[in-house]
Amino acid sequence: MSLVLQLIVYGIATGAIYALIALGYTMVYGIIELINFAHGDIFMIGSMVSIAIFNLLGINSDSHPTGWFLAVAMILSCVGAMLICAVLGVVIERIAYRPLRNAPRLAPLISAIGVSLILEDVGKLWKGNTYIPFPQIFPNITYKAGAISFSSINVFVLVVALLLMVALNWLITRTRIGRAMRAVAQDRDAAALMGVNVNRIISTTFFIGAALAGAAGFIYGLQYGSTIFTLGFNLGLVAFTAAVLGGIGNIVGAMVGGILIGIIEALATLIPPTVLPHGGSAWSRAILFGILILILIFRPAGLLGQQTPEKV
Amino acid sequence: MSMRLLKFPDERETRLLFVKWLVALLIPVLAFTLWDGESILNNTLLTLFTGFTVEGVTTIGFVLSTVFVLIFYAVTFALAGYFLAADSGRRSMIELWIDVVIFTLVPMLLVILTTSLVVGLALCIVVWPIYFWVRKRVVAALHYAPPDPLDEVMELSPAQQDALKDRGRSGGFWFGTAFSLIWLVIDLVYLFSGGLPTPVLIFVILRTILFPVFGLLLGQLGGELALRRTLGALQKKADAKDKNAPAVDLESEIKSLSPTRAREEVKELVPNDQPMRSRGAQLFYLALLAAFVLLYPALDPLLFSFGTVGRISGFADAGYYVILALGLNIVVGFAGLLDLGYVAFFAIGAYTWALIGSGQFTVLTGLQVNPQVWPWLFWPVLILSACVAAFWGVLLGIPTLRLRGDYLAIVTLGFGEIIPIIFLQMDKYTNGTNGVVGIFSPHFPGINWTTFTPVPYYYLILALIVLLIFINLRLRDSRLGRAWIAIREDEIAAASSGINLANTKLFAFGAGAFFSGIAGAYHAAKVGNVTPDAFSYNDSIIYLAMVVIGGLGSIPGVIVGALVVYAVNQLILAQLDTMAADPSSVLHIVKVLAPTFTFDSIRNLIFGTILVTVMLFRPEGLIPSARRRRELHHVDQGQDVEVGSLDVPPGTPGFESEIRVE
Repeated sequence: MSLVLQLIVYGIATGAIYALIALGYTMVYGIIELINFAHGDIFMIGSMVSIAIFNLLGINSDSHPTGWFLAVAMILSCVGAMLICAVLGVVIERIAYRPLRNAPRLAPLISAIGVSLILEDVGKLWKGNTYIPFPQIFPNITYKAGAISFSSINVFVLVVALLLMVALNWLITRTRIGRAMRAVAQDRDAAALMGVNVNRIISTTFFIGAALAGAAGFIYGLQYGSTIFTLGFNLGLVAFTAAVLGGIGNIVGAMVGGILIGIIEALATLIPPTVLPHGGSAWSRAILFGILILILIFRPAGLLGQQTPEKV
Repeated sequence: MSMRLLKFPDERETRLLFVKWLVALLIPVLAFTLWDGESILNNTLLTLFTGFTVEGVTTIGFVLSTVFVLIFYAVTFALAGYFLAADSGRRSMIELWIDVVIFTLVPMLLVILTTSLVVGLALCIVVWPIYFWVRKRVVAALHYAPPDPLDEVMELSPAQQDALKDRGRSGGFWFGTAFSLIWLVIDLVYLFSGGLPTPVLIFVILRTILFPVFGLLLGQLGGELALRRTLGALQKKADAKDKNAPAVDLESEIKSLSPTRAREEVKELVPNDQPMRSRGAQLFYLALLAAFVLLYPALDPLLFSFGTVGRISGFADAGYYVILALGLNIVVGFAGLLDLGYVAFFAIGAYTWALIGSGQFTVLTGLQVNPQVWPWLFWPVLILSACVAAFWGVLLGIPTLRLRGDYLAIVTLGFGEIIPIIFLQMDKYTNGTNGVVGIFSPHFPGINWTTFTPVPYYYLILALIVLLIFINLRLRDSRLGRAWIAIREDEIAAASSGINLANTKLFAFGAGAFFSGIAGAYHAAKVGNVTPDAFSYNDSIIYLAMVVIGGLGSIPGVIVGALVVYAVNQLILAQLDTMAADPSSVLHIVKVLAPTFTFDSIRNLIFGTILVTVMLFRPEGLIPSARRRRELHHVDQGQDVEVGSLDVPPGTPGFESEIRVE
């Protein structure tokens, strides 16, 4: 039992990262109905940018900064990654998606796939094709609550993710920009008639989504200690599954979906090799997709999505 | 046949026409002759009649190459006749000559300069759009308005038809004469400077006499074929088709179409403004292409001096991409079901033959496998893998039936991920990460067929491609095909018209998976081993890119798309790397400036850029289906919206009005 709870705790920590990435996917889909395949790769670039900023500040994998310097470095790295990813997201939207806004559905999708491939190669050319260590500078203290142990890094990751999610929720529900974003997502032409600058709102959406992915890159590096250029595709797919699970276009759904996926992935390791060859951990992606497919068969709108009838 | 023929035409217009086409055709023919044609013919003669041998080339190879060269000349003679008969004479000479140079000389030059077929052609694909763009600018700057094609739509009187036939005949004759004379002069230069071996001398004399004769006969053929496409002949064909159908007046039908539509219909008619682009000429091009592709293994060692086996092996590998593109074209192009996990069915097909046709079969069932007898099973298992893959296609299609667009894509993506994981983890049956090795090549009576002999594989894949193109065409033009297109355009409307959505979609998945099953079994046999990590999401994207770049729903388009994507992905970058490593080539500068740089490492970068660029500038693909082009480029260069004729009853044979409804 305590093993299960332990796994759930790990799952929540991982799931928070998935949730942050899933938010970007769901926001973009909600507003322009495009699966942004490049989003996972923005996350990967974010983690690499964090490493680069650390290196600029003189911190590499075996440094041990403390105190103010540590705090400043972490803030700089996180904010820097967020900003650069945000700008990258906006640039991608301008170049690769905006001209195709009125094209048939397949064109921006293929374009997104093209951008994803480009970003992967950029990552590979920049940092090579092996695992790159992320400076493990956050003090790693293990806490115990009964039989369950978790580290301070997990707590930090969770706190950062929750803060960002709360901030996003506040932005969407309580500000004018958020209202404009919801309006454009609901009906683009009506929003334009209401005086919303649709282009700017779409760019803002990409800005925010990509910033969240950048933050996710930063905390991923802190938690797992390394990054690689194929990270974006792998995690991006899982995060997209989370977004669909929660109901695509739905912000809270993405958060819930992300955490759920994290928990499911953790619990899947419990499956013994007698049921599935090599045990559940080797099959985690297959299980994930299996669950996605089941959800889509029985509840296509996702857990929290609304069933919208298709109008003729 | 009168002696009048042998006099060069004296009316000024016809004379100019002759000059125009003779020069236009002589340019590529002479270029080809001087490049390789002459050497192939001479070498064949020497091999046959003296003891001359060339390393790496068999006598059969020479003979087959000669056959190709002769077919090339025959097609050119016939084309000379066809063009002269079919041309209306309104386009200028210079324009035609520039076109010919750009489309025939430039590829030859680039292939020679880069000593590589693939890189040369790839550079062409870069050069041609630039030419088109420059041409568009020049045309706009000169305010040149091309003549209206509709002016040519008229019945030809029998006298005019005879005149055309004569023109064709004498066109072929004069082309044959001019060509053989010029070649004679070139050979005389050789004779006086170094002497020619006897067989070649005899050939020169024979050729000078015979080519005008062949020109005459083939020119007549070309002229006759041109005459079959005059308005009168087409009218007769339409009239003869169905006695009970209402009388069809082609001329007034064409005149009542909108300009864009009329231009398409008129491309087939004779007389024609641009006979090089007409459908009649396309038949000749296809014949030449078919001869080239069929005889390529014999030609390759003579065109390029080394690397034949590697190149043919590469093309044999490219073949399965074509089959995959054709299959995915059914799912994505015809039925509009976005499938991102197509590699799963490919894997299923590959593993089917891998598990049956190798030592793994012994592991699975305990039966001993006789390596002499077992490979014969390849032929039935080819069909079996296709059926197994089709079965799984239907099975994996069932969950997707209620899903729209992007959700469908994600579910198929999921299956594309799950199936290779299954193959990886069930290693009791599939041998896990190490995969299945030692897969048998097929056996065929009289042919030595192993993994290292690419030529039988080349012909096998050619046969499979031809068969599958035929199946694809029949599917597209059947009720099922039209049902797929209806579903793609509007599901709800299709369902309201009585189409069973579930069955049709499942059929689409099944048919697409059938094609990939065949490709999978072929690939397993060719490569000889199958591992789960050979099938990944990246491959699914490549297949999708092939279909989209080529042109969704268009069969020639996806074939070209498959070849282009394969070339970019596998061939071009590897060739660029080999060229950069060679100190004598231009590209070596790159190696000097950045020693660790390889072109191969930026493959995804280039591929991704190509994808984005194609989507931004030509989303309908390289060779779009006619329907798609109309969808994506509504406004036709300043033409006003025209309402097509509403008086013609629907269901008139071979007819489609374009009505824009705002």
